[in-house]
Amino acid sequence: MKRRTKLLGMLSVVLAAALISGCGEKKEDDSKELVLFTWEGMFPQEVLDGFEEETGVKVVYSNFDTDETMLEKLSQAKGGDYDVVIADDYIIEQAVGQDLVQKLDKAEIPNYKNINPLYQGQFYDPKDEYTVPYGAGIPLIVYDPEQVDFEIKGYADLWNEALKDKVALTANYRVINGITLLTMGKSMNEEDTAVIGEAGEKLLELAPNVRMIQDDNTQNALLNGEAAVAFLYTSQVTQALSENPDLKVVYPQEGLGFGIMSAFIPKDAPNAAAAHQFLNYILEPEKAAECFNYIGYYSTNKEADPLVNPNLVVPSDVTKGEIVQNVSAEADEAYNKNWTEFKAACD
Amino acid sequence: MTKKKHSKVFLTVAPLYLFTLIFVLGPLLYMIGLSFATNNDSWGVTWKFTLENYKKIFEPVYLQSFAQSFQLAFFSTLLIMLIGYPFGYFMAKLSAKWKKRMMLLIMVPFWTSSLIRMYGWIIILQAKGVFNKLLMALGVIDEPLKILYSYPAVLIGMVYALVPFMMLAVYSSVEKMDWSLVEAARDLGASPMYAFLTVTLKLTLPGLLSGVILTFVPSMGLFFIADILGGNKIVLVGSLIQDQLTRGSNWPFAAALAVLLMVMTSLMMYLYRSITHVKDLEGIF
Repeated sequence: MKRRTKLLGMLSVVLAAALISGCGEKKEDDSKELVLFTWEGMFPQEVLDGFEEETGVKVVYSNFDTDETMLEKLSQAKGGDYDVVIADDYIIEQAVGQDLVQKLDKAEIPNYKNINPLYQGQFYDPKDEYTVPYGAGIPLIVYDPEQVDFEIKGYADLWNEALKDKVALTANYRVINGITLLTMGKSMNEEDTAVIGEAGEKLLELAPNVRMIQDDNTQNALLNGEAAVAFLYTSQVTQALSENPDLKVVYPQEGLGFGIMSAFIPKDAPNAAAAHQFLNYILEPEKAAECFNYIGYYSTNKEADPLVNPNLVVPSDVTKGEIVQNVSAEADEAYNKNWTEFKAACD
Repeated sequence: MTKKKHSKVFLTVAPLYLFTLIFVLGPLLYMIGLSFATNNDSWGVTWKFTLENYKKIFEPVYLQSFAQSFQLAFFSTLLIMLIGYPFGYFMAKLSAKWKKRMMLLIMVPFWTSSLIRMYGWIIILQAKGVFNKLLMALGVIDEPLKILYSYPAVLIGMVYALVPFMMLAVYSSVEKMDWSLVEAARDLGASPMYAFLTVTLKLTLPGLLSGVILTFVPSMGLFFIADILGGNKIVLVGSLIQDQLTRGSNWPFAAALAVLLMVMTSLMMYLYRSITHVKDLEGIF
């Protein structure tokens, strides 16, 4: 009994000490600390350490699971608490809409010019005032040249009769509808249900070529010989290539459909100066390249391209890209219907 | 005194009732309510009564998935019956020692997740897989068969996953049977086949039918087999519901589909009861 109280006493001393030292830390740091808010595992530790060495500002890594959690926390903090946030395109549009984001002072970010213009002027930041892109995910066509007699150049080639029962697809209904619309010269975010209906009919023509539709490990179908062509997500493309370097990647001529992760500075960031410094730092070609190689997403930094794993660089002749956005309920319903009809027609 | 006793009994049973009310009846009512609600444009539902969700089911696209589910369930059950009945029948005639061993062999696969077992089938059926290599080595075929991601692959998966239920149901029915009745039939001059058809089959019908229920009803809902082995190309009601809950984010429509599916399977149970006059399914323990 006595021993227990002694132990408790000791514990409280330790706790008090921790509290006091904790307080002290907080007091001195406002200008020496940068709170980075993003998903887990988005930066190699060397890059973060390098920033502290160069500027003396310590990076405090705070993470969220989903974009929605990020927005909720940020709006609770009224655009404060965090200095740099990295999240997905669509949620940034909402954050800007809720007035939680500050305009960038581009004079403080000399490396801003390194950004690949392909990823600029997107719907969430049409005038490029708020964001710095940090990697892109792009679903692409990958094929085995040994099993395909002709050169695949774009989505339209997936409809080629020579590919009967040879195509594997990811299961995102909006993306598959989207690439069909692209072959028709329309937008991936078409709202006109009549046009979506036409796309649905065109999709039915693709059905005989489809070997399988799956979201997870779709690349396996290509690797184990079940399919000759596959339409894959970025991580799947990387995995497929690492296992079979002879596979060919196609950057479809109709244009890319992608998702972009971007960095922004919240409205009332405690340390906006350091935040600008940080954005400038991660836009340095060497640092950016390290980051892209680490996260395995496509480089959004033109100057970093020569330094990045070549599989993560979009060729310079690809100039068109579009992001899948939310559409009206009627349009979404039409896309859903197309998808169900398409899947049923595949067998 | 009796009143007090009664309340004590109630107290011991109360948790069970409470559990059923909260976790079975509650969600069920919620789902039925949801199926009459209106879907919002972006997210969530508005509690405004509508029959739209049920009307939508009758569009050919969605009606087709019900037909597809019924067809697959029908063929699966038929195959399962052809394999499961003889198996259960002969298993019941084995010696006690072998019965135990057989039982163990039937149970062992259940120790692994059915999802993983389905991935096992991918390895067996794929183009460069065991099955094709074997057939090619034997000279039966020159080019690998495209079995994976096809209807037969889904059928194989369904039969594989559900056949134990039929075996066990038939087994327990045959085991309980009074063999002296068959002997009597034989003594009275019936041929073995005739005795089987008129006596054995009739007496084990409840087991066979409960096996049918135990396989037909789940096969209406087992959409992950069609997804994994069929490459997502067969749209079953189950996968449609999943699609509407996740990608399509139309919960009321998903609820309407689920309610209809439930009504249909309940109807099957009702039919079973009125045909066999048995209250409980045989072979469930």
